[in-house]
Amino acid sequence: MLVSEIDVISPLDLDECLTILSREGIQHRLLAGGTDAVVRMKDGKWRPNVWINVKGLNELRYIVKKDGAIHIGPLTTHSDIIRSQLLQTQADVLVEAAREVGATQMQNMGTIGGNIGTASPAGDTIPALFVLGAVLEIRSCNNKRLVPIEEFFIGPGKTVLRQNEMITNIIIQPQEKNEIGIFQKLGPRKAQSISIVNVAVNLIMGENNRQCLGGKIAFGAVAPTIIRAKKCESMLKIAPITDDMIENISKVAWKEVMPITDVRASASYRRDMASALLHRGLYRLMRRWESYES
Amino acid sequence: MKPIRFTVNGSPREVNCHPSKTLLDVLREDLNLTASKECCGKGECGSCSILVDKEVICSCLVLAGQAEGMDITTCEGVGLTANMDIVQEAFVSEGATQCGYCTPGLIVSSRAFLNSIEHIPSVSEIKTALGGNLCRCTGYAKIIRAVETAAKHQLENKGKLSLR
Ligand SMILES: Cc1cc2nc3c(=O)[nH]c(=O)nc-3n(C[C@H](O)[C@H](O)[C@H](O)COP(=O)(O)OP(=O)(O)OC[C@H]3O[C@@H](n4cnc5c(N)ncnc54)[C@H](O)[C@@H]3O)c2cc1C
Ligand code: FES
Ligand code: FES
Repeated sequence: MLVSEIDVISPLDLDECLTILSREGIQHRLLAGGTDAVVRMKDGKWRPNVWINVKGLNELRYIVKKDGAIHIGPLTTHSDIIRSQLLQTQADVLVEAAREVGATQMQNMGTIGGNIGTASPAGDTIPALFVLGAVLEIRSCNNKRLVPIEEFFIGPGKTVLRQNEMITNIIIQPQEKNEIGIFQKLGPRKAQSISIVNVAVNLIMGENNRQCLGGKIAFGAVAPTIIRAKKCESMLKIAPITDDMIENISKVAWKEVMPITDVRASASYRRDMASALLHRGLYRLMRRWESYES
Repeated sequence: MKPIRFTVNGSPREVNCHPSKTLLDVLREDLNLTASKECCGKGECGSCSILVDKEVICSCLVLAGQAEGMDITTCEGVGLTANMDIVQEAFVSEGATQCGYCTPGLIVSSRAFLNSIEHIPSVSEIKTALGGNLCRCTGYAKIIRAVETAAKHQLENKGKLSLR
């Protein structure tokens, strides 16, 4: 398929979009901000017959609180996330992750649905969504299902999404007053770089000094998909998260991740950096928590 | 080929092209607006930056078929020699350009940034705002100074306006 032969159709609403997705016999792919899709089209990797341009579907661009949960439309851009008061106060880790995506232009163009849809093991918003317990609403013309984000990815670029389906809503649990999160990323440079390793943490804090009642830790770019570090998580509740404890938890992270060597970094470097990022993240998180408390 | 209608620099335009052509190529080839440049073609360098609905984006990653109805401003729309914007004047007075290839993109990004603030930005704010624009010549110091200067002039102009 030559680029000049690929059509672009722009459905006017979600129903029309789902109808087009259900058409058989044509090879189509959704096109949102295009920051992954157009790059891959130029590289010759993604050459569908038709792009289904959803960028204009404003009904899928929202951040709202509903029945105690936060709903984020898949066409919400990274810039929308960064600007959202609601997310700043009740999903801080997602805002921090969105700030780390590319630079201004990519944050204005790129969408959260596209970040999930690309299913890169290094996608920056995904670990944040893991620790916020995100559930994806997936729709086709005549079906709707809910998939926890941890069950959505199968491997690099591979998801459980069928050809006639799309993500129509992202539901996260808002943070309570005693919850606090952080996102840490290592890239080749500060702006515009794909993560060599990233980590998202969300902790539920107790009343006593540095007492933690539980939490979630998710790493990116250290396995074929984003992974939860459950061994590290289980250590959070054992004892107050003192600087010594942070040291111990990050040593466990070194063992728990399973990175590979690729063009961006070697496996052993990734392992060291996963451990270091979690160390730094927990350290900063505790400092922040203490400054809130005092 | 498909007809596509949008607004560029305030004027309604219509072009006929294949819908997967990039907006950057449409601007340069079909509309002869050649300030926006192609360098990396993949969103990394910002030399193709334009404003869409007042937000800065990379036109090398937008397809013509997505541009229907868009309100686009290119560097030409920010200002031309006869009616330079304060950002452009500051780039000249600070000597923030050498080969000039990155300059239109930087001017567009700087304009978007200045539209969003009402204070003199810190160096780190400027670096964050312009992180998506690469320059291989200047070493950035003069570019950052130009944005500071433009921000000062912008505030002065606003001050003058409020006195009237
Ligand atoms: C220069 C540059 C820097 C970047 N830096 C980063 C970075 O630091 N961190 C990072 O994580 N990413 C980065 N990216 C990747 C990209 O910007 C993000 O993944 C972005 O969020 C993708 O969103 P999009 O709207 O542009 O997706 P698109 O490119 O439009 O689509 C991506 C994929 O998602 C699918 N899709 C889109 N919407 C939906 C939906 N609603 N349901 C199902 N599938 C859908 C599409 O079909 C396609 O397969 C970078 C990209 C570039 C070009
Ligand atoms: S040419 Fe568009 S970002 Fe480089
Ligand atoms: S002046 Fe030459 S690239 Fe910036």
